[in-house]
Amino acid sequence: MTTGAALRCWRCAHEHPATLFCPQCSAVQQLPPQIDYFSVFGLPLRPAIDEAALTRQYYELSRRLHPDLYQTGTVEEKDASLKNTVLLNRAYRALRDLVSRGQYWLELQGESLGKENNRVPPTLAALVFEVQEKLAEVREAREAGKAESSKAEIAAIRTDLDGQMQRLRTLLAENLAQWVNESRSPDLLPQLKRLLSEIAYLRTLSRDVEKESEALWNA
Amino acid sequence: MERIVGIDLGTTNSLIAFVDGDTPRVIPDAQTGDPLLPSVVAFLPDGQVEVGQGAKAVLADQPLTTVQSVKRFMGLGMEHVSTEDRRRYRFADETGIVRFALPSHPYTAPEVSAFILRALRDRAEAYLKEPVRKVVITVPAYFNDSQRQATKDAGRLAGLEVVRLVNEPTAASLAYGLDKKEEGLIAVYDLGGGTFDISVLRLHTGIFEVLATNGDTRLGGDDIDQRLADHFLLSDVPEALRHDPHVASNARRVTEQAKRALSDHDETQLRLEVPEKRVHITRTLTRKELEAAVDDIVARTLAPCRQALKDASLTPHEIDEVVMVGGSTRMPLVRQRVGEFFGREPLTDLNPDEVVALGAAVQADTLAGRRKDMLLLDVVPLSLGIETMGGVMSRLIERNTTIPTSVKEMYTTAVDDQTAVDIHVLQGERELVQDCRSLARFKVPIEPQPAGMPRVEVTFMIDANGILNVAASDLRTGRERSVEVKPSYGLTDEEIERLLEESIDFAEDDVTRRLVIEARTEADTLLHVTEKQLRQYAAFLEPGEEARIRAAVSALQEAKSGEDYNRTRDLIEELGTISAPFAQRIMDKSIGEVLGGKELGKV
Repeated sequence: MTTGAALRCWRCAHEHPATLFCPQCSAVQQLPPQIDYFSVFGLPLRPAIDEAALTRQYYELSRRLHPDLYQTGTVEEKDASLKNTVLLNRAYRALRDLVSRGQYWLELQGESLGKENNRVPPTLAALVFEVQEKLAEVREAREAGKAESSKAEIAAIRTDLDGQMQRLRTLLAENLAQWVNESRSPDLLPQLKRLLSEIAYLRTLSRDVEKESEALWNA
Repeated sequence: MERIVGIDLGTTNSLIAFVDGDTPRVIPDAQTGDPLLPSVVAFLPDGQVEVGQGAKAVLADQPLTTVQSVKRFMGLGMEHVSTEDRRRYRFADETGIVRFALPSHPYTAPEVSAFILRALRDRAEAYLKEPVRKVVITVPAYFNDSQRQATKDAGRLAGLEVVRLVNEPTAASLAYGLDKKEEGLIAVYDLGGGTFDISVLRLHTGIFEVLATNGDTRLGGDDIDQRLADHFLLSDVPEALRHDPHVASNARRVTEQAKRALSDHDETQLRLEVPEKRVHITRTLTRKELEAAVDDIVARTLAPCRQALKDASLTPHEIDEVVMVGGSTRMPLVRQRVGEFFGREPLTDLNPDEVVALGAAVQADTLAGRRKDMLLLDVVPLSLGIETMGGVMSRLIERNTTIPTSVKEMYTTAVDDQTAVDIHVLQGERELVQDCRSLARFKVPIEPQPAGMPRVEVTFMIDANGILNVAASDLRTGRERSVEVKPSYGLTDEEIERLLEESIDFAEDDVTRRLVIEARTEADTLLHVTEKQLRQYAAFLEPGEEARIRAAVSALQEAKSGEDYNRTRDLIEELGTISAPFAQRIMDKSIGEVLGGKELGKV
């Protein structure tokens, strides 16, 4: 983590902590490429954040950083503006959504979902089995020309999966909120990993349902 | 500050616009007053090239040597050309990049587009009375990297600096947002002559953020015209004549006119006259018949709408306003289908032909540093990836990622003393390489070392134009490595240089004309300043000096209205020399005033 790293302003040579603009002459600064995404926004290193405030901050920074505004600027300004905007865009994409933010936080802890992603999480096994069975039935009915009768069925599956996703997102939000606590449970990290992999699996399942749903409506 | 103008390089029509004070304006044709320049280029038997109305006039007589809808061929290879297009045009090759077989020699799509861009530039220079060199050109949001690169190449071939490519629906949203001063979620539905785009944006305090975009770069009014012409040929024209190029191109012309008429009327007369083929057909066409014939084409625009909303995690009802862009949105059927889809009446009070060019001019003004109150945040329309083992595409940048963006990949070697790594870059949403569009092959040189030793970091960056840039650096030596690019369906830098050189003879006239304009502009500035000084500082004139200056002024005035730019330049210099002592006295006085002011301040 390089939050505290010092930068020397290319324009006025003022030494300052890594910020997007020089505190002395307000020239755009080139952030170190390995800086964490929270620091790009000047946020403390914690995964529970105010998403609406993040968006406002993203707009505010874009308005000052974007390469479009430095077209007539110096080479240093153009370069710093382009590189920082790339960084800002990536940081915003990672932090703006609960799930992608959880994944990024997991990465910062030196962990990743990796191969486990492909295995059915045990907690979802029953649900997965049930949904796949129903999907097979719906597909069969569709192929037999009885698409209409399956529409209610598929809608019910979708509602069910949406509910599951909502539940997991709530749990994920709760998990992310606990990382500020100094005396946090050692289970927090394994739990985060499990939740993220369940969400990833649920998304794949939802995609299959979505595909069948489209086929049904096009039939 | 050098002016930058905005260009809408359309499939059917093109426009050029600039910002006049605070207001974007399209520049009309000096003779006809029409802001639309038909995107038609005719290669005449005598070697002359006609662009616009003149080209459109000969289209029916010379269908094979007149290129229309060239935009449909930008950045494509011959394998992407449909059989329909093969019937309509003559191509020089069976494989490789698309080249039209034309009387003098084959032309690629960027070269043909360059004729249109030059015509627009000429129009703007004549209107603004100054040279125009820097431009913003709009492209369909769903254009891939090759199509964008081809558009940039066209600009270069026309002698223009393309400062930025802007997505058409985004440009339209700019014009719309600044006009209506509204905020919220908008969908821009852009059905042009040859391309379809849907973009979903959030407008917030001068920020125009694209949330998702989708579309089809081979779907537009052209398809509607073709379908209607086919429908007419099939129902009314004897089979032996259907494939005759003259009959077919005349049929297209009259059905296209009928389509337009049916936007305002319930029925119209179709009249096809080709005397040399003894074709004389008249019949009534109703709006109902038109709509039945093209309904499936219009319906094809809805799947991209659904996908864009899904990517933006929105439902149709959350959209606050639907903005209609492109001439084809004049069709009542299109408005009806879009209205049904979004559950609200689409906004149609902006001129669908001009709104893109106006937006391009506004963005040009921002890039010129003249405007700071608005900002576009656009996205890359298609996922970008590289070929990996087994012909699988490995995605590096997801579609709808805000640009500019970049991603780094680490490469090493598989065998000892390997001297290069080959990277095949693709664009598309499918899993397999064969189902994606090949963009380019990059070769990164590596110093010979045992297998697995080299560590080369390759950066894939998509810039604000949506165009890919690749850079490589050797992490062991810390040296930047040059990357050799082979575009799959485009021109290499060397090819563009060669084409530019070849066009120099042709461009001789161009150069002369530019020099005349430049000399004139300079003369105007000097004359203006001199007049002002003569009026304001008459007290500084020495006896006889005014008469000498006045004589030089009238000589220059006479010269600048002629075509001899050398004489104009000489007289500019002469006037400068004659009025120099006078100007010096004025200067001395103003410095004296400033210093005097300071002195007073101290006291």
